[in-house]
Amino acid sequence: MESAKITKLLEAYFEGETTLAQEKTLLAYFSGDEIDAAHEPYIPLFKGVQMAKDETMDKQITFPKQKESPKRRWWIGVAASAVIVLSVTGYMYTNANELTQEEQEAVMAFNQSKEAFLLLSKSFNKGAEELGYINKFTNTTNKYFK
Amino acid sequence: MADLIMDQKEFLHTVLPFKDRLYRIAKRLLVSADEAEDAVQEVFLKLWRGKQNIKKYRSPEAYAITMTKNYCLDRLKSKQAGTMKIVHTNYKTSESLEHKIEANDGVALVFKIMENLPEQQRIILQLRDVEEFEFAEIAKMLGSSETAIRVGLSRARKTVREQLIKKHNYGIC
Repeated sequence: MESAKITKLLEAYFEGETTLAQEKTLLAYFSGDEIDAAHEPYIPLFKGVQMAKDETMDKQITFPKQKESPKRRWWIGVAASAVIVLSVTGYMYTNANELTQEEQEAVMAFNQSKEAFLLLSKSFNKGAEELGYINKFTNTTNKYFK
Repeated sequence: MADLIMDQKEFLHTVLPFKDRLYRIAKRLLVSADEAEDAVQEVFLKLWRGKQNIKKYRSPEAYAITMTKNYCLDRLKSKQAGTMKIVHTNYKTSESLEHKIEANDGVALVFKIMENLPEQQRIILQLRDVEEFEFAEIAKMLGSSETAIRVGLSRARKTVREQLIKKHNYGIC
């Protein structure tokens, strides 16, 4: 690369008039070994630009976890509701069969009272049967008072 | 509609290649490597939240760069408004780069000069000389005109040259 051409390119560079291709030419020239003494002051500038290009970020980027897609969420929702419905009904069923202590005592008390009432009713009916004979007395009395 | 929605894999495939570039731009503005990393993380989260929209943009990369620039400028503004100052002891580069820069005083000086350029000139210099974008692309990213970009770039390059030559003549390099 002729020195004069580089000098011209440098002039254009500082005026902001070089193309990207011309800037690449300058970078290549300054990263090479054959640099004209007149251009030496610019070496750090183009070396710095080259170094700045090579800088990278080592730290990883963290993203929030991906949400399920709507399609998948749909059947997960259905499955979840089914589980809830089943567990609620199941709970209710098992509870209906298993009476609490208090309920069991109430049933026992009811049965005992029922038995007592039945016994009472039987005795009442027995008494009522005996009352049937009273009519006989009425009949006979009627014979005389006709 | 369905093809506008991105899944995570597609999203990562689209945006992760920008990571290093966004980091370099953020670092050029914020100087501190830690803050630049935080900025890039934040920009990626924003992109992720708006991933339904990302395909609407002709260039997702240009969109991400504009977002990074705006985020960094906001950070700088809130710093200046608050009591916190940009502390240059925060200055930290990746180990390898730091080592390379230290090994070359001239290059270290160039980076120092770049740090002191006005923000807009810093972004333009970064997008052109380091990231190699066309003027039209840079103008779109920064919401400016090509002429304004050329002028800003020329000023930035000349400032670097001026200060570099000054030091060179004093024999510091």
